[in-house]
Amino acid sequence: MIPASLASKTRCGIRLVKRLLLLTLLLALLTVGCAHDPYRASSMEPSQTQPVPIASNPEQISLNSPEMSVNSRSGSIADKENLTDSQENVGEDKRNLDDVEGVDENGVDDKESLTNMQESGGDEVTATISDPIEPFNRAMYQFNDKLYFWVLKPVAQGYNMIIPEVARISVQNFFFNLAFPIRFVNCLLQADFKCTATELGRFTINTIWGIGGLLDPASREELNLRKQDVDFGQTLGVYGVGHGFYIMWPVLGPSSPRDSVEIVGEYFLYPVSYINPWYLWLGVRSYQEVNDTSLKIGDYESLKEASIDPYIAIRDAYVQYRQKKVKERGSQTKASQVRGSDVGELTEH
Amino acid sequence: MKKQIVGLSIVAILLLSISVYAGVPLDTVQANVNKVFEVLRDPKLKAAAAKEIKKEKLRSIYKGMFDEVELAKRTLARNWNKLDDAQRQEFVQLFHQVLEKAYIDRILSYTNEKAVFYKENTISKNQVEVQTKIITSSKEIPITYRAILVNGTWKVYDVVIENVSLVMNYRTQFNEILVKNTPEQLLEILRKKVKAQ
Repeated sequence: MIPASLASKTRCGIRLVKRLLLLTLLLALLTVGCAHDPYRASSMEPSQTQPVPIASNPEQISLNSPEMSVNSRSGSIADKENLTDSQENVGEDKRNLDDVEGVDENGVDDKESLTNMQESGGDEVTATISDPIEPFNRAMYQFNDKLYFWVLKPVAQGYNMIIPEVARISVQNFFFNLAFPIRFVNCLLQADFKCTATELGRFTINTIWGIGGLLDPASREELNLRKQDVDFGQTLGVYGVGHGFYIMWPVLGPSSPRDSVEIVGEYFLYPVSYINPWYLWLGVRSYQEVNDTSLKIGDYESLKEASIDPYIAIRDAYVQYRQKKVKERGSQTKASQVRGSDVGELTEH
Repeated sequence: MKKQIVGLSIVAILLLSISVYAGVPLDTVQANVNKVFEVLRDPKLKAAAAKEIKKEKLRSIYKGMFDEVELAKRTLARNWNKLDDAQRQEFVQLFHQVLEKAYIDRILSYTNEKAVFYKENTISKNQVEVQTKIITSSKEIPITYRAILVNGTWKVYDVVIENVSLVMNYRTQFNEILVKNTPEQLLEILRKKVKAQ
């Protein structure tokens, strides 16, 4: 009798600790996530500086403001004011612009770097993230690196030899299908109904005809319901929440306070999290990790091999990847909203 | 009547030339990638001993497909100006070796993959983005090639794999290094890297 009650008590305790951890995480996010603007942080990076410095007077700067307002949302209101100012002095501005171009032609070096910058603008806006806890992160990176080479990779390689690839892909599909609630909720939160419907359709089809999610008939050509790439960090990003700063979690890998919401989301919405007792949950979760790793052995190695400073390379890859993911989503939802408003206007007239 | 014929033929020529022009970057990239796959799948080169021949063939395809100088220059961005001519040349050389050694074995391991070329976006007058996908047994990897028009041919200057730009990734790394070090020290780091590989 006594050990049983003790066990239930410890279970309760573990759950309490888990909840507490989540709460502190949430709190940390709320206090930190909004204070840092990712766009402004990125403009501090030297490689990203706009060709503004050449401008010799304020009017010229205000001409550049449309670009600046893209980069810093918080500054966009002030920029707009500048814009209306500058519209009054368009003639003057144009003359200034001509002046600046003249300077360009004279200073060859400047021009070269300028064209570099301008070409790199547009689509490929530099993505950066502040890294105030770099020493900690680097230590965690070392830990994860060792974890991969000493534990995860050998286990995954052994697993590779026993289980054929087709089966491993099925297992991956199964877990992916199981994580449907996370994607469904995020599609809803992003108010992207096409995404929501696609996810719902995929889940139904793959669960019933795909033998509980082992197969993925929904993404075949006939149905063409593509995997929706959505998560909580992205949803926050779509609504303008910045990264905050870079965190390299042990085991979980690169993240930021914003993207760490995923941990909370997973806790509530990923069915595997509800597995009891905790060691069974850990087992299933680790198995999933090994299975995923077995399908991408070599990816990390070549990334590390190709990089001059692997820590920076991974950080940059993470930021680029996440930024693009948020941007794509943002423009998609915006596009669907615009389409919606167009339709509204049409029916009004 | 004659005028009309002349007018029509001018319009026809213009239209035709536009449509041809629009597809060129995509076709160029596609032709080069297909050449890579041909080498990888060549049954005559299946033997392990043929690896060097394969590598040599890939190297020549790479030379035709990429603009090495443009690629290297872009990874340094404004730091390019800090290097003198000799340093620039060495940098291009070293960077090429770093890339080759890191990726060639990985590329050689591909055989069953399929490449799909589906879209071409214009970035500017002489720059174009070609969107492709590599389809492997377990997933689809989006790969975008950014190409620039150099002396009438389209040369790739950046590869974006799963939304991560190769040039940008190196730019961040080099930038970080050059904040604390001189260009000469950067070259030294690269030399060591090449030797270690």
